[in-house]
Amino acid sequence: MKRILCTILTLACSVVLTACGASSTSSEAVTYGFLDETLGTENYAIGFRLGDEELAETVSAAVKALVKNGTYASIAENYPDIKDYLSLSPEDISDDEIAQPGSGDPNYTFKHGFDLDYPPYSYLNDAGEVGGFDVEMAQAVCEYLGWKYEPVPFNWDFKDAELNAGSCDCIWSGFTKEGREDMYTWGITYSTNTQMIMVASNSGIKTLADLAGKTVGVQISTSAADMLEGDRADLAATFNELKVYETYTVAFNDLKAGAIDAIAIDVTAGSYLIANENKQ
Amino acid sequence: MTLSTMFLTMLPGMLRTIAIFVLTLVFSLPLGMVVMMLRKSRIGIVQILTKIFIAVMRGTPLMLQLLVWYFGPYYLFRMPIGGYRFTAIILGFSLNYAAYFAEIYRAGIEAIPVGQYEAADVLGYSKAQTFFKIILPQVIKTILPAVTNEVITLVKDTSLAFALAYSEVFSIAKQISSSQTSFMPFLIAGVFYFVANYAVAFGMEAVEQMFKYYD
Amino acid sequence: MTEERRSNYDDILFRMDHIQKSFGGTEVLKDISVSVRAGEVVSIIGPSGSGKSTLLRCATFLETIDAGTICYRDVIAAQNDSSGKAVYAGPADIRKAKKQFGLVFQQFNLFPHFSVLKNIMDAPVSIQKQPKETARAKAMELLRKMGLEDKADAYPKQLSGGQQQRVAIARALAMEPDILFFDEPTSALDPELTGEVLKVIRLLAEEKMTMVIVTHEMPFARAVSNRVIFMDGGVIVEQGDPEKVFGAPEQERTRQFLRNYQQ
Repeated sequence: MKRILCTILTLACSVVLTACGASSTSSEAVTYGFLDETLGTENYAIGFRLGDEELAETVSAAVKALVKNGTYASIAENYPDIKDYLSLSPEDISDDEIAQPGSGDPNYTFKHGFDLDYPPYSYLNDAGEVGGFDVEMAQAVCEYLGWKYEPVPFNWDFKDAELNAGSCDCIWSGFTKEGREDMYTWGITYSTNTQMIMVASNSGIKTLADLAGKTVGVQISTSAADMLEGDRADLAATFNELKVYETYTVAFNDLKAGAIDAIAIDVTAGSYLIANENKQ
Repeated sequence: MTLSTMFLTMLPGMLRTIAIFVLTLVFSLPLGMVVMMLRKSRIGIVQILTKIFIAVMRGTPLMLQLLVWYFGPYYLFRMPIGGYRFTAIILGFSLNYAAYFAEIYRAGIEAIPVGQYEAADVLGYSKAQTFFKIILPQVIKTILPAVTNEVITLVKDTSLAFALAYSEVFSIAKQISSSQTSFMPFLIAGVFYFVANYAVAFGMEAVEQMFKYYD
Repeated sequence: MTEERRSNYDDILFRMDHIQKSFGGTEVLKDISVSVRAGEVVSIIGPSGSGKSTLLRCATFLETIDAGTICYRDVIAAQNDSSGKAVYAGPADIRKAKKQFGLVFQQFNLFPHFSVLKNIMDAPVSIQKQPKETARAKAMELLRKMGLEDKADAYPKQLSGGQQQRVAIARALAMEPDILFFDEPTSALDPELTGEVLKVIRLLAEEKMTMVIVTHEMPFARAVSNRVIFMDGGVIVEQGDPEKVFGAPEQERTRQFLRNYQQ
């Protein structure tokens, strides 16, 4: 078993190395970065069932308290890739907005619905445990209020069915508010995100206009995909092709292999990919 | 994440996959027998309803059926569905596979020459004795290859439980893959499925061998 | 049935009276009556489609009759109701009737997953509740009689057709029937294998086993039977002593059949 794994590992490594080797012949060390121009910006907030105003307010007040007491900032330290995009600061919050510690019903179990496939907001961390900025925040909220915490990982495609059927109490998983304003009762907005174009340093692409005739990758049902199929369809029309992937991991591999020229992606997710690439 | 952490993280997923697999077989193999009997019932309405059941089970995607079994109780009857996820998965898989098994059983039973029934009847075997002593052992031998195919398909189908976010091995592989930007979890999952199927094929071949004694 | 009449029929093991049977509007048996006495060997001959196999299948309850009476000794298995339609007796009487006969099929119909020995001894053990050892001893004795004692542990597929048919005869005999029916017992066999099966039937005839044999083997029927029945078109055309039916048939149809057969 171990030997089989090792063989496969070796094979996989050599494939990846060959791919890297091929692309690095043209320039010494290829790095990846973003174009200065952005596709757009959006906000992440906590979505509750329509009409769940009370829960939304309680959770939001608790989040504010955690911002005020520094927990928010200290959790953010664990996630350097998104730290710059967390939009709440203690100065913006007044003392009368915040929830009191231990003010929640100790018998209440808060069912946190999220996608385990959305690093670094909610994902399986390096230790193989359920983690991420949103998960840690939700856990901190429960601890602060005295609630019990129950993680409810769900399939992103069926998030509304899960929420409406009551298997979770909220969607808190890097959840974009734009375009969904009327579909949920919204809690606090805690992070911004920008959709950008990621390219290799040797690609020669400097502006959005340079993307004309190029092949651009995107992950299915992400904000970047929504934009390129919606508000920024004009831009997508200049591409040679907009290639839709199941995951960014595959898209990023194609970018490294030169199969595509650029990736349209949330800056947080993109930074995470780049940081991971540099680690290896 | 080291390879061993990755493997350890996926291990519970492997166990969950095996749990879906084993429980589905435990329920669907006998249930298929019941469905087959209803399908062959002389009562017209029972036969028609069973035919419809089989047609729906075989004619719609299993993933869709899993969603219906899980979300159905809430959307149809407003029943709370927390904690019901695993039950829904086993229910969905078992009913779906029972429909397939029922048709395999039926084909197997219809392949038995009528002379076997007649010989047993003339000798004085009761209906139950005829079925269990004479017919069933021959049916099992006939249907084993088809059952093996279904069982192997089941090993791979377990990954459909991801629709209900049940953390079986494939879901975890996908999650680790995106957090680690690595394909290694899929390789591990692939090896797992392969080994599992190899074990199934090996076991089923041993069973087939057991029934070869009268060839 | 009166006591007096019954005593007259004491040695009649099996009787069918005025049997009618149709398959989807086609009349296959038209008012047929047959009775068989203890120790008799009756051959039924006739062209294909004459109804002779159907008659046998009705006698052994594999087909149901539309009208008429079927009796095994004093057990009335089926008789007409007031509207002239056959009504079968309850399960208990049918079981009693079934105990009295055995049937050997054209296609042998051995149980392929049972060894030869188990084919023969399973029914005595699981239906008649005989002790295993008794059943085994009797099965071995029957196999010796069939010349197959070395095949006890073989499986049917490993045997030739002639051997399989002999095992099937042994299986029927193991239930100790009073009357044994044969439905074209050699028709599925290669010509060189029919001899071994006919030899066994002849042996049983010498032992005064009561038998009804549907067959195409004319010389055999002539040699082994006490009585020959010629059927055609769902009726008994002619019956009687084999020498008379084969040697000097009264009916033109019989003559024609035998002529065609000899060619």
